[in-house]
Amino acid sequence: MKATIGLEIHVQLNTESKLFCSCTTEIDDLEPNTAVCPICLGYPGSKPKLNRKAVEHGITIGIALESRIKPVIRFSRKNYFYPDMSKNYQITQYEVPLAEGGYLMVGDHRVGITRVHIEEDPAKLVHVGGGITNARETLIDYNRAGVPLVEIVTEPDIESTEEARDFLKKLSLILEHLRVYDPSGEGSLRVDANVSIDGGNRVEVKNITGFRNVEKALNYEVVRQRSAVNMGLSIVRETRHFDAETGVTSTLRLKEQEEDYGYIAEPDLTQIHLSEELVGGLRVSMPELPDQRIQRLVDQYGITRFQSDIIVNTGLRMSIFYEKCCELYPDSKTVANWLVTYLLKSLNYEGMSLEESSVAPETFTELLTMMDDGTISERLAKELIKDYVKTGKSPRKLVEEKNLALLPVDELRVVVGEVVSENQKAVDDYRSGKTKAAEYLIGQVLRRVRARAAANTVRELVLEALKGN
Amino acid sequence: MNSLKRAKELDQEYHFMNAFADSLDSGEGRLKGYTVSVKDNVCVKGVQSTAGSKVLEGYVPPFDATVIAKCRAEGASILGKTTQDEFGFGTFNVNTPFNKPLNPHDPERSTGGSSGGAACITAVADFPHLAISESTGGSISCPASWCGVVGVTPTYGRVSRWGLIDYANSLDKIGVMGKTVKEAALLLSVISGPDKYDSTVLDTPVPDYTELESVEELKVGVPKEYYGEGINSDVEKTIWSTLKKLESKGAKLIDVSLPHTKYALSSYYIIAMAEASTNLSKFSGLRYGLQEHIEGDFNQYFSKIRTLGFGDESKRRVMLGTFTRMAGYRDAYYLKALKVRTKVIEDFKHAFEAVDVLAAPTMPVVAPRFDEIEELEPIQHYMMDILTVAPNLAGIPMVSVPCGTSEDMPVGLHLMADHLQEHTMLRAAWEVENL
Repeated sequence: MKATIGLEIHVQLNTESKLFCSCTTEIDDLEPNTAVCPICLGYPGSKPKLNRKAVEHGITIGIALESRIKPVIRFSRKNYFYPDMSKNYQITQYEVPLAEGGYLMVGDHRVGITRVHIEEDPAKLVHVGGGITNARETLIDYNRAGVPLVEIVTEPDIESTEEARDFLKKLSLILEHLRVYDPSGEGSLRVDANVSIDGGNRVEVKNITGFRNVEKALNYEVVRQRSAVNMGLSIVRETRHFDAETGVTSTLRLKEQEEDYGYIAEPDLTQIHLSEELVGGLRVSMPELPDQRIQRLVDQYGITRFQSDIIVNTGLRMSIFYEKCCELYPDSKTVANWLVTYLLKSLNYEGMSLEESSVAPETFTELLTMMDDGTISERLAKELIKDYVKTGKSPRKLVEEKNLALLPVDELRVVVGEVVSENQKAVDDYRSGKTKAAEYLIGQVLRRVRARAAANTVRELVLEALKGN
Repeated sequence: MNSLKRAKELDQEYHFMNAFADSLDSGEGRLKGYTVSVKDNVCVKGVQSTAGSKVLEGYVPPFDATVIAKCRAEGASILGKTTQDEFGFGTFNVNTPFNKPLNPHDPERSTGGSSGGAACITAVADFPHLAISESTGGSISCPASWCGVVGVTPTYGRVSRWGLIDYANSLDKIGVMGKTVKEAALLLSVISGPDKYDSTVLDTPVPDYTELESVEELKVGVPKEYYGEGINSDVEKTIWSTLKKLESKGAKLIDVSLPHTKYALSSYYIIAMAEASTNLSKFSGLRYGLQEHIEGDFNQYFSKIRTLGFGDESKRRVMLGTFTRMAGYRDAYYLKALKVRTKVIEDFKHAFEAVDVLAAPTMPVVAPRFDEIEELEPIQHYMMDILTVAPNLAGIPMVSVPCGTSEDMPVGLHLMADHLQEHTMLRAAWEVENL
C-alpha cells in the first residue's frame, strides 16, 4: 500500500527580534513571559511593525527552493480562537505568499514546494497534570508569541516515511546553510503532516516537533491506517495529535470540511514591494548550498565524494570545522580520513554533536601533528581520540597526563635487552630457526611499554638484539 | 478654578467623561495652557481606557498613544477620557454601559456619536480645551455637527493610530475637535506626522494648519447625491443659505456627481464589520480587562467573558462581520466591498480635479431626541451615516463646521477635500466660520 504524504513545515527564523516587535527571539533560557511587549501580547492599541530581516530570510529560502518570489506581498489575519494566540488571530500570509511553485530534490525524486510564507509563532502552552486533552491546567508563555516562522508547504509528493525523513534532513541542512535557522533551538522545527494510503481519506497529524518525532509519528500513522484498512475499517478524515512521550497519534477533532479562518487583509500593515533590486541582491549573495559545498570540498581538498557527503551532511558546523582544520594542517586528505572515520565514530559513540562536544580544530589537528612528529603512534592516536572527544582536553595534554608519549629509542633498547635476557628459551628457538619466536618477543616488549612504542621500531630493535647476541 | 475641577462639575450635568486623570501635568509648547480631553478609545498611560466597553473595564494602558505623547510634548494637560459608543459602534453615543452624554443645546437630545463625549465637552468647556476624537465612518463629524463645534477628520495616514483601540483599522482616523477652526487646526498640527510605530502613517511634511487665510476663488463642489431625498428640508435650507453667502464672498459653486455614493454605505459597513469582528477577538479575558473565574475549557471561558463584556451592538457586528468573511460569502461581501471602495475613491478623485472642496450637510437631520432614537431599527441607525461614510471610506479629510441652526439645534456644514489637502479645507472652513 502506497503512502501519500504532504508536509507543512514551520521553522523559527533566527532573526534578532520578533516578527512584529523588537522583543528578543533568544528565549530558550528565559523565564516565562519576560520577552514580551504590548505588541506581542496583543494589547489594545498596539500595532504590528514588520521586521524586514524576516522577509529577507523568507526570500532566500524561496530562492533556495527554486520558487517564484512574488513582487508584492501582503499579510492577512487568520482568525480562530485558541489560548496560545494573543489576538485570537494570527498574522500570516494567505492570498499572496512570499514564494510559490518550487521544488526540492530528494535523491532523484522531485518533491514540489507549494508555497513559502512567513507568519508569527503563537505563544507556548504548557499543560500541567496531563496532556493536551486532559490537563488539569494550562499555562501560557508568551515569550514565543511573535517569533518569526517560515512555513514551507509541500505537494503531496512524498511516498514513504523514509523519504519524509530524508526530505526534512535536506531541508534543514539547506536552512542551516542559509544561516536563517538554528537547528539546536528548542522546538525550532515543527511539522504538520497530511497522510493517506492508497488514495484514502487524508489525516492531518498536527504539531510534531523535531526530526525523530516526524519519523515516529509518520510510521505510527501509516501502520495505523494500514491495519485499519486490512481490518476492513475506513479511514476517517480527521486531525490527530501526536504524543511524543508515547509515540502514538490520537484523534483531536474530526473535520468534515476545510476549517474556515475568515481571512481578511491585515489592515495595519501596508503592501510590501519586493523590488528586483532586493531579490536580485539576495540571489547574488546567496550563501553556498549543501550540494555546492559537497562539490567544492571534493574539488578544493581532493577528498572523495563519499567523505565530502558525510562531512557536509553532518551539518554546517562540521564542514566549517573541516575547512578550519585544513587551514591548520597541511594534508587535507588525512584530515578527512581521521574526521570521517574516527572523530565521527567517537562523537556518535558519546551521543554528542560537534557543537555539544569541546572538540576544536586546533586540538584535533594537534592529534594529527603528534603522529607525524613521532610523539604518538597511530594506534595510540586511535585510542586517544576517544578520550579526547569525551573530555575535550587537548590531545597533547592527555598524552602528558597519562605519560603516553613514545619512548626514546635508547630507553626502548634497554627494555628490549631486558625482555631478551628474560626469555632465553625464545632466543634459543629463534636461533634454531623458529623465526616466529621473534614475534613472541616483540609482543612481550609491546606489552611492557604499552602503546608507547611503534611496532615497527620494536621489531627492528628486537631483531637487532637477536642478531647481536 | 482649575480645569480638572471645572470639568468634573460640568460632567455632573452632561455626563461626557468615562475617566479623569488623577491630576493635570502641563509644560511648555504650542499647547501650553490647553486642557486636552481624549476619546476613550485612545490609550492614555495610567488612565483607565475602555473604548466604551465593559470588556475593558479596569484596563489601564501601560503606554501612551502617539498622539498623547505628542500633546504632552507640546505642553498640553491631559484631562481624561471622554465617552463614546462601545468601540465606536454607534451614531448617538447610547451604545455603551457607561456615561451617555447629553446634548448641551437640549438635554433631551443625543450629542451624536460615536465621539459624543468629545463634542459635548468641547461645546460646554469654559476653559481652554481641545478634544482628541476619532472617526471610522463619521464619528467626529456627526457629534461635532449636532453639538455645534468644529470637528476635523484628517486624511487616513496623516495621524498615527498607535495607541488607538481598533474599530476598523483601514478606516480609523484620530482627529480633533475645537470651538473654532483655528483651535482645531492647532491640535491637528501637533498630532499629525510620521510615526515609526504605525506602518500606515504617511511621512509627508506637516504644514502649520493654523495659518488661516482666505482662499482666492475657492471652488466649492456641490455633490447632487448629498442633497434632496432623505435630507431634512430645513437642514438643507440652512446649508444652502451658507453656500449662497460663500458664493457672495467670491467662492464658485460647482455641481458635481459622485455616482457610487449609493453603494458606499453597504461597502463601508461590510468592511468595518469584517475588520471589527477580528479586532474584537482579542478580548477574551486572559490578560486585561474583564476577568472571571476560569471554569471549563477555553471556549467556555472566552464565551462567558464575551457574553458578559460586549453590548448588543458589538455582538451584532461580530456576527455580521464574521459572516461577511466566511468561505462562500467572502467573495460576495468582503471582497466585493473592497472593490466598491476603490470605485468610491475614484469618484472623489475625479471630483477633486475640478473643485477644491466638496460641501454638503454633515448629517441629514439635527440631533434626535433619546425617545426618538429608541424607536429606530439598527438599519435606521446605520442610515444616519449616509453622508459621512463615503469620505471616510475614501480616506479623504473632512471637517464639520457650524453654520446656523434648525429647530434651534446646531447644523454642521461638511467640507471634504482631496487626500492631504487639510490646509485648503481648513481655510475654507475658516471662511464659513467668519461669514
